[in-house]
Amino acid sequence: MEKEPGRGMQESKGKEIFLWMIRARQRLRVTGNSMHPLLTAGDEILLDPQAYRHQPPNIGHVVVASHPTQVGLQIVKRVRQVTEDGCYQLQGDNPDPAQNSPSQVHGTSILGRVTSRFVRAKE
Amino acid sequence: MNLMTRTISQMFPAKQTVSAHCDGPCGVYDPASARIAAEAALSMTKKILALDPKDHSLATANSLSRFITIKEEQAHLAKTDLLVLWTDYFKPPHLVEYPDLHDTFWQAAKLCSAVKVEVSLEKAEALMKAIEKIHTIFWATKGREVP
Repeated sequence: MEKEPGRGMQESKGKEIFLWMIRARQRLRVTGNSMHPLLTAGDEILLDPQAYRHQPPNIGHVVVASHPTQVGLQIVKRVRQVTEDGCYQLQGDNPDPAQNSPSQVHGTSILGRVTSRFVRAKE
Repeated sequence: MNLMTRTISQMFPAKQTVSAHCDGPCGVYDPASARIAAEAALSMTKKILALDPKDHSLATANSLSRFITIKEEQAHLAKTDLLVLWTDYFKPPHLVEYPDLHDTFWQAAKLCSAVKVEVSLEKAEALMKAIEKIHTIFWATKGREVP
């Protein structure tokens, strides 16, 4: 589905749009820039909430997770590391360290995998 | 396909958001708040030094008490703001370019204490200089020069 596993982000086309129409994908809007350059604030992405039903997230996947401490906040980050006890270290792609801190979440906090970009933010 | 998705997005923008902020909605970092607090502490130090120690009137005692209170509060505020910058803003990669970063913050925090403990123009001015150094480093890490 992705051009290079864990690196690129395909634009939503035929199959992804169809899956969105039948509600197999959630459409979400990105705020903030810690996933720059892959995702920019204002981009809309499609999330597959069933992606990890049968298999766990892999390193390199871009996922949406519940924030470890802020109730109701959902974050979009890349999986950097997996620990033995089922915890995932998530981090944005942004090379600027001031815009990018790692978060650690339990596997149960991961809500799904980002499978495509629905639309790019307006220029 | 792009036109279609763009039209959908414009007509029906996605309501639910996901945050790609640094760690959730982050605070805005700016050494200006530490500088302003240190300036207030300096100002109080000067005002205390300007009082006549032989004047034992109630009015002067009241003023002295207020100056001391504010000096204490503002020096503490400066220390807290510096702590937030040190622990939350600066990250390990910054140490590569600024290897004495920890020491810079340590000395600045010690000067905040000295300004509380003493009535010293020298320490209050040294604190201003220490914060100015941090201000320069901070804005350099953001790739900007801010006067």
